[in-house]
Amino acid sequence: MNGFLKVQATLPLSQFRLQVDLSLASPVTALFGPSGAGKTTLLEIIAGLRTPQQGLVEMNGTVLFSSEKRIHLPPQARGIGYVPQEGALFPHRSVRGNILYGRKRSPHGAPIPMEHVIEVLEMDSLLERRVSQISGGERQRVALARALLSNPRLLLLDEPLAALDISLKERILPYLLRVRDEFRVPMLYVTHNTTEVLSMAQWVVFLRRGTVIAQGFPRDVLSSREVLPQVENGQLENVIQGSVLDANRELGITTLSLTDATTLSVPFAEKVRGEKIQVSIPAHEILVATEEPRGLSARNVLPGRITSVQCVRESCFLKVDAGFPFLVRITPSAVEKLGLREGVPVFLIMKTHSFRIL
Amino acid sequence: MDGAQLGIVAFTVKTALLSTLVILPPGIGLAWLLAKRQWPGKSVVETLVSLPLVMPPVATGLILLMLLGRRGPLGGWLYERGIEVAFTAAAVVVALGVMSFPLLVRAARVAFEEVSPRLEQIAATLGSGNLRIFFTVTLPLAARGVLAGTVLAFSRALGEFGATIIIAGNIPGKTQTLSLAIFQFVQVGRDREAMSLLLVTVIIAFLTLLSAEWLARRGKKKTEAG
Repeated sequence: MNGFLKVQATLPLSQFRLQVDLSLASPVTALFGPSGAGKTTLLEIIAGLRTPQQGLVEMNGTVLFSSEKRIHLPPQARGIGYVPQEGALFPHRSVRGNILYGRKRSPHGAPIPMEHVIEVLEMDSLLERRVSQISGGERQRVALARALLSNPRLLLLDEPLAALDISLKERILPYLLRVRDEFRVPMLYVTHNTTEVLSMAQWVVFLRRGTVIAQGFPRDVLSSREVLPQVENGQLENVIQGSVLDANRELGITTLSLTDATTLSVPFAEKVRGEKIQVSIPAHEILVATEEPRGLSARNVLPGRITSVQCVRESCFLKVDAGFPFLVRITPSAVEKLGLREGVPVFLIMKTHSFRIL
Repeated sequence: MDGAQLGIVAFTVKTALLSTLVILPPGIGLAWLLAKRQWPGKSVVETLVSLPLVMPPVATGLILLMLLGRRGPLGGWLYERGIEVAFTAAAVVVALGVMSFPLLVRAARVAFEEVSPRLEQIAATLGSGNLRIFFTVTLPLAARGVLAGTVLAFSRALGEFGATIIIAGNIPGKTQTLSLAIFQFVQVGRDREAMSLLLVTVIIAFLTLLSAEWLARRGKKKTEAG
């Protein structure tokens, strides 16, 4: 693959040696892996905050670092925005002072309009606040806005949701998705959350102990034999994109079209017909039946066919093609009782409220 | 208080202010170098700077006299060019500066060390070079500590005695500061004059602390308000 960002780096760390050779071309690449895998270090190398022992960093054909040619562009000359895990806002500046910090010196192309960023990240009411007065989720939005307004050619996001609790996460992910879709700045996104990988990224790189174990399309990589055991508690979600057919407050559902033949009922949300939205459902929330069930309260019964069965530890993961390649987590006992194997036709049963709108 | 005494007070405050102003730029620069950078000879410089803190002030004064006297290596060179330092008002400023320099550097250094390198790194990714990072991030965040160090240095300069008397002498109307004058009045038994100068000293010390407190509070407010 021929990417706009090339990173070859070797750097001994305390526990292991970071050794990567990557070429990235996707608008959003997720850097996925357990804590302490070297993900943050890799971001710092790309940003110019850390120097690899050996290597080459190249963006859009410009060499940012080369141990061979003794090139080391300082961070301020790279045009790479960095949003660290903790936000790292300047405590002596207001929210406005923070987001304008990198504004004047953005040499790369037409600047991103400030009003647009403020609108997309809904920061109007925050601007005059002190950074000590805003919440964790708001801090991340400010850090994101600050990085965006410096007009970066690449945005590095280091677990932007890790420091937040679940309820806040649900509120900041939409902002990240909007940033991705509105500003078209390529992103490299560090996370160990599979939902974030699946909803944000077109490409995922799995890193463990400083080495790239796997990379590819998110769904394939996350459900692969090498990566699946690494996923925290086997908590994999299906992140599905569809367009809204109808949103009915009285019935409490939003109807989503996946393909011409397949629709989903998900919880009601203020959406208009034709709008593209993402929803997620955990792999373990999906039921499997070998015959079409009747008299169910569950609004979604989709016919499909098993394309693979993979058992890891005490769980089995089925991949089922039902207008969308669903990943389903069941027990080995269920696999045995129902005689589930590749090629078997099944029905997937999903409650409306098992879905979450991203 | 008579005119001569007023002159002593004005001279003391003036030399202390001047010496503090003179050491401020190099002191802050050195503190930053010690806090944020690794370089060869760092520990040697560190020791040299702190030396006046642990040495008897009289000994420091003597070293300065040997350096800056007419026959000293630096003083001789200056003397050839028509500049005399020892036993002049300039010598007072030098003595005050040297004696208070370590206090400023140590306080500022600690303040700089407490500024998170993370914030400075982020400022760099936002396009700032070293100088802009220093003036927009490091210095504002260290301002309170630097200010405290400055006040400390100024107070030390106000009360300096030992080094001053050796390199500048105790010449009334020329190099005599408050401390030197009090010393002289006590020596010759003019207790009333000594007492009135003592009162002035207490007032100056009080005002210094008060204004430092006020500045610090204002700085804090400003930091929080952004």
